[in-house]
Amino acid sequence: MPRSPRRAPRALAASLGLLLTASALAGCAGSGGPETVRFHLSKPEAIPYFNELISEYNASQDGVEVVLDSSSNLQAGFLRGNPPDLGLLNYNMEMARFMERGALSDLSDMPEAERILPEVQELVDQYATYPGRTSVLPYSVMAASVIYNKEIFEAQGLEVPQTYEELIAVCDALTTAGITPFYGTFQDPWTVAQGFFDYTVGGDVDVAGFYDELDSLGTEVGPESEVSFEKTLAEPVGTMQELIEKYTNSDAPSKTYGDGNLAFARGEAAMYLQGPWAFGEIAKTSPDLDLGTFPLPMTDDPEDLRVRVNIDLAAWIPEASGSKEGAREFLSFLFQQDVMDEYNAAQLGYGTTVDAAPVTDPRILGMKEYYDTADFYQGPSQAIPQTIPAANYLQGVALGGDVESALSTLDGDWARLALRQ
Amino acid sequence: MSVQPALVARDIDAAATAEGKGTRRRSRRGSEGRSGNSSWSLTIVLLLCAVTVVIPLYVTISMAFKTQSQSVDGNAFSLPAPFSVEGFVTAWTLTDYPRAFLVSILITAGSVVGTIILGALASFAISRNWDRRLFRWSFYYLLGAMFIPFPVVALPQIQLTGLVGLDNPLGVTLLHIMFQLSFSILLFTAFLRSIPAELEESARIDGASTWQTFWQLIFPLLAPMSATVGIFAFLASWNDFMMPSLITSDPSLQTLPVLQNIFQTQFSSNYNVSFASYLMAMAPAIIVFLFTQRWVMEGVTQGAVKG
Repeated sequence: MPRSPRRAPRALAASLGLLLTASALAGCAGSGGPETVRFHLSKPEAIPYFNELISEYNASQDGVEVVLDSSSNLQAGFLRGNPPDLGLLNYNMEMARFMERGALSDLSDMPEAERILPEVQELVDQYATYPGRTSVLPYSVMAASVIYNKEIFEAQGLEVPQTYEELIAVCDALTTAGITPFYGTFQDPWTVAQGFFDYTVGGDVDVAGFYDELDSLGTEVGPESEVSFEKTLAEPVGTMQELIEKYTNSDAPSKTYGDGNLAFARGEAAMYLQGPWAFGEIAKTSPDLDLGTFPLPMTDDPEDLRVRVNIDLAAWIPEASGSKEGAREFLSFLFQQDVMDEYNAAQLGYGTTVDAAPVTDPRILGMKEYYDTADFYQGPSQAIPQTIPAANYLQGVALGGDVESALSTLDGDWARLALRQ
Repeated sequence: MSVQPALVARDIDAAATAEGKGTRRRSRRGSEGRSGNSSWSLTIVLLLCAVTVVIPLYVTISMAFKTQSQSVDGNAFSLPAPFSVEGFVTAWTLTDYPRAFLVSILITAGSVVGTIILGALASFAISRNWDRRLFRWSFYYLLGAMFIPFPVVALPQIQLTGLVGLDNPLGVTLLHIMFQLSFSILLFTAFLRSIPAELEESARIDGASTWQTFWQLIFPLLAPMSATVGIFAFLASWNDFMMPSLITSDPSLQTLPVLQNIFQTQFSSNYNVSFASYLMAMAPAIIVFLFTQRWVMEGVTQGAVKG
């Protein structure tokens, strides 16, 4: 084959050169000019809204240039020592690990920290705290409870139930009328955990207190301990299994979250145990469906009614950030009340500040009175570290497995994890 | 070109004749005679195999052109009605497609070229010095890397690349080459053993240096295996999610598969957008395969027979 001896090395050199140029150019982008603030936001629905805010902010001043980052891996960033400068994302157990180890800087001196409702700030502390610091500021809270189809309820002449007895009466009336009361999607384990499990347990047990005690018991959690999954949660989880057995669609074990949204949008069931994130999915099929929400009653006292909440978005600035000042300025911009209100109105979230605008969307209005009086709990399934496959155990219960053995497995896992840590 | 169909037709005819002789008398019209029992069952098996490829491809394409409300209606097989390109538009803007595509292409091209050249050089050295202990052991050492999957060494790799400033596409390219090297060397050395040493000796008698022998004689001979190695490297690099997601720290230099991850979350599904995006990301792989499939098949059989 006639071939110049130098051609192949030349091709190699050319391709390497291309790569080097690309990386060199990337390097240039970081130096000089305004201070760059890398803003991590991973909620896809929120990206367009925040993109607009970012361009507005970048145009309004020239000291700081904010760049949206929705794809970086956080763990890798913290490990490498170059995490994003400002994070605004779902706050949960995984995020709490960073704050517990002091990786997030103190924001308590910011005026924004003063405006956060104390009972909402308390939700952050339920996961973990770092002495002397307020490092996480809640931006938006999602309240979740039973989603119900108002048209079906009206057609059947049903009222929103306030006690467990009324709930059973509603379910029976619906069954008699040939309507499926609850739509179950048990093929996706998380829907069992965040729906049926969280609502039944949260309506019956003091969730934060329960996990506090479990934490202090640590390795001693087991059949002998005073508080345990097996003992404390036996009743609500038993009720959950009963509700599932009697009042869900018969094909629930083979249905996924997507199937559930579609079926519920088509009016195939009267109630759906999902959070406000499902509204957007349901609206893709039936944008005008009349929906409402109410907390799942688990006792005979209407005073016990509570809704499930989770911190949808929370802001933090890592200690390792190179541009904390710029990040703080942008954080203040994001925490302007009208900016927050607009986000919450669009995403069906609840405000986290003392001066937040009240919610108006009829779909989540049913939870307002409970949110305002802080009658809420964080989902008990979210307080279990992800190394314990709790959702899968609960899926087993939903499919008819033994309640007691599933809960004692949870106890065993909890104690084992405590021993390892 | 016009000769080829005729040739093919004659081949089929000949095959049918041969088959017809053994089982029953061949009918006068060739087309009926071809459909013997064995060829029918074979056709059905092949059809089923084809269906497993065609159906997902069909769903991908039709889903990509659906509107959002139709994409969640539970009928994956329905045709898009109305026909919509909103998925492509959203995917294009959300991933900043041209930039992400360029980054993906650069990483992939770098790792394909790097893998082929480094793999070929190393294999040449190893297979021609097999009698020396150092080279034999280095072969086993390099092969040992096949037993180390990336997730096992992910944490130290993240820290290391961060320390030396390689937390960018260049670092990803180097790591891709490294992880692809062991398998490529296995293929190359097996192939190199089938090339007679006399060829090289004749080149040396003509006065070629080792470098010249490699580039002018061996490397061209390795072409079919290089194609195979290149295709494996291409697929591994183009489709990789985990490594770029962990190694690249600048979000504007992220690859397509990682950026596409935002379309699918636990709480929401944008099937039309994701499938449009997958289709755009799949296109290069399919195009590359269309143009190189002959070499893939050749390379695989060559490796299989002579390795």
